[in-house]
Amino acid sequence: MTPALVDVRGLVKHFPGERRLLGLGPPRAVVRAVDDVSFAIAPGQTLGLVGESGCGKSTVGRAILRLIEPDAGRVTIDGQDVVTLGARALRALRRRMQIVFQDPYGSLNPRMTVHQMLAEPLAIHRIASGADAERRIAALLEEVGLDPSFAQSYPHELSGGQRQRVGIARALSVEPNFLVLDEPVSALDVSVQAQVLNLLADLQQRRRLTYLFIAHDLAVVKHIADQVAVMYLGKIVERAPAPTLYGSPRHPYTTSLLSAVPVPDPQAQRQRIVLAGDVPSPAHPPPGCPFHPRCPHPKKDARCRTDPPALREVAPGQLAACHFAEEPL
Amino acid sequence: MTEPLLRVRDLKTYFVTEQGSGTARAVDGVSFEVQPGETLGIVGESGCGKTVTSLSILRLIPEPPGHIRPGSFIEFEGRNLLTLEPRDLRAIRGNQIAMIFQEPMTSLNPVFTVGDQIAEAAIVHQRLSHRAARTRAIEMLRLVGIPDPEERVDHYPHQMSGGMRQRVMIAMALVCHPKLLIADEPTTALDVTIQAQILELLDRLQAELGMAVILITHDLGVVAGSADRVVVMYAGQVVEQAPTAALFARPLHPYTEGLLASVPRLDAPPAREHGRLHGIPGQVPAATAWPEGCRFHPRCPYAWDRCRAEAPPLLDAGGGAEPGTHTVRCWLLTDPRRRTPHP
Repeated sequence: MTPALVDVRGLVKHFPGERRLLGLGPPRAVVRAVDDVSFAIAPGQTLGLVGESGCGKSTVGRAILRLIEPDAGRVTIDGQDVVTLGARALRALRRRMQIVFQDPYGSLNPRMTVHQMLAEPLAIHRIASGADAERRIAALLEEVGLDPSFAQSYPHELSGGQRQRVGIARALSVEPNFLVLDEPVSALDVSVQAQVLNLLADLQQRRRLTYLFIAHDLAVVKHIADQVAVMYLGKIVERAPAPTLYGSPRHPYTTSLLSAVPVPDPQAQRQRIVLAGDVPSPAHPPPGCPFHPRCPHPKKDARCRTDPPALREVAPGQLAACHFAEEPL
Repeated sequence: MTEPLLRVRDLKTYFVTEQGSGTARAVDGVSFEVQPGETLGIVGESGCGKTVTSLSILRLIPEPPGHIRPGSFIEFEGRNLLTLEPRDLRAIRGNQIAMIFQEPMTSLNPVFTVGDQIAEAAIVHQRLSHRAARTRAIEMLRLVGIPDPEERVDHYPHQMSGGMRQRVMIAMALVCHPKLLIADEPTTALDVTIQAQILELLDRLQAELGMAVILITHDLGVVAGSADRVVVMYAGQVVEQAPTAALFARPLHPYTEGLLASVPRLDAPPAREHGRLHGIPGQVPAATAWPEGCRFHPRCPYAWDRCRAEAPPLLDAGGGAEPGTHTVRCWLLTDPRRRTPHP
């Protein structure tokens, strides 16, 4: 097996609760946004990280790139430890790892032209200037499917899909080999979403990119991911190769999530599991298995309420954190 | 055939743009009917005019810059809503026709309790006393599945989760037992497990209360699971209209076809085995400059000369469909052999 390009072990990020009453009162509970998350991604592969809002999936993406500082854990990219790097070495490593954000409206500077946005990383990392930079910018735009004349445009002159293409071009400008894609198509219309997903697949092949694809939409992830990890309340509850996870999920949360996705086929005969209640607050996760209050598994028992299940291998390559993973829903 | 509950005919809602340079023809000649008790799905992407259509039905279009053009016709139980006096319109709006919006955060008033907000319509329209209205609000909260309604009735919106707020919105809309509920992207802002709860709730309430629903959404999966009939909109027009099963089995407009091919599907084989999504090239044109001829022709893989020159009317689908039940705005219906994409 090829060594992983990205290796994450025991990643933890807790956000401290602020003190009430002008900072004098008792502190609020700590929010356990990311709680002991581990995974690895082989070069040229895509790991889909899925979960509902507030499960910690975006925090994982940002902590890996140290856009927020992780509290514990080890992250290596191509063998280099990201967590302990000093500022200068980290900046150099940023050439290797980039991020594309969800909101193509909020993540582009409204006062900069597309050209300026693409020239900036080239200058910061001393990759190219002058005529060489011009040539690279034109090539980048072409590579993401935009006419080079877009270089003179400001973000407000672009559609959502065009902006997301600019966001991708900006990330690619420093020639990274690892991209964190944080809900890159969620804000786009479905016909444009398909274009951008195809573009991401093409770029991955051409440039041999490794992706961490963060999304809430399981159908989108199925389309692009080789491996999938499902998060719930800061923890990975199931991780498996995509065909296995979609074909025979072992965690009741994965099964419920899959059954809740509307399928565009009125004839589809599906048993829909409708989960009761809301996701609990990550500041007050339930004891035992964090999913137990909503869990539809018929066998759930006292153990689920007291004993947190470990993430363990339940089938070759498939990990699940459930006491009843051997008897899936 | 029963008399339709709502009949929209040749609705045109235009907006004068900020620069004063042009007119955005956001909704441009839309016609459809809603039968009592049925669910009509309206699908389309941003900018297709689906939300403006629903706001026009309730006459909630801000004038200026918007206006509903003369010749448009919206009939609810035999009365033209567009010519009603404001007083008569108010008696219908929020009472017989209710609406829920996409953003439960911004559509609820943060300074009133949810109970007060639910009770308001009952006090205004049904002249309930405050005490009776409060009791009704608690009943409504129970109906929409909120636990501890006696306690929750005094809570403020910020004390509730997104899914709970959407339930409150539904309770508000249904407090007067409307005959028609317009739901504009009611689940778009919600997580998928919460979306499933809300869709199930709407289904149940519709069956219990016998109301008709217009379900506006961009999600073909939501439509497939909930609607009896579907209207597909593109560039301010209805481009295809059919019973749900027929639309998904035999999508005839190239836009409907493209939309269905664009959706990543959970029932498709996993990545690496099935190749690429199809997508639709280009993007939705601006409402100030719809293309000449068929408005979809610049993105259509089948377009030929006629499509560029002449705007197609809605044509019957044929193929065994009863006339008028499945209609398509596309010249391909006059020349089906052309349904082979250009190389």
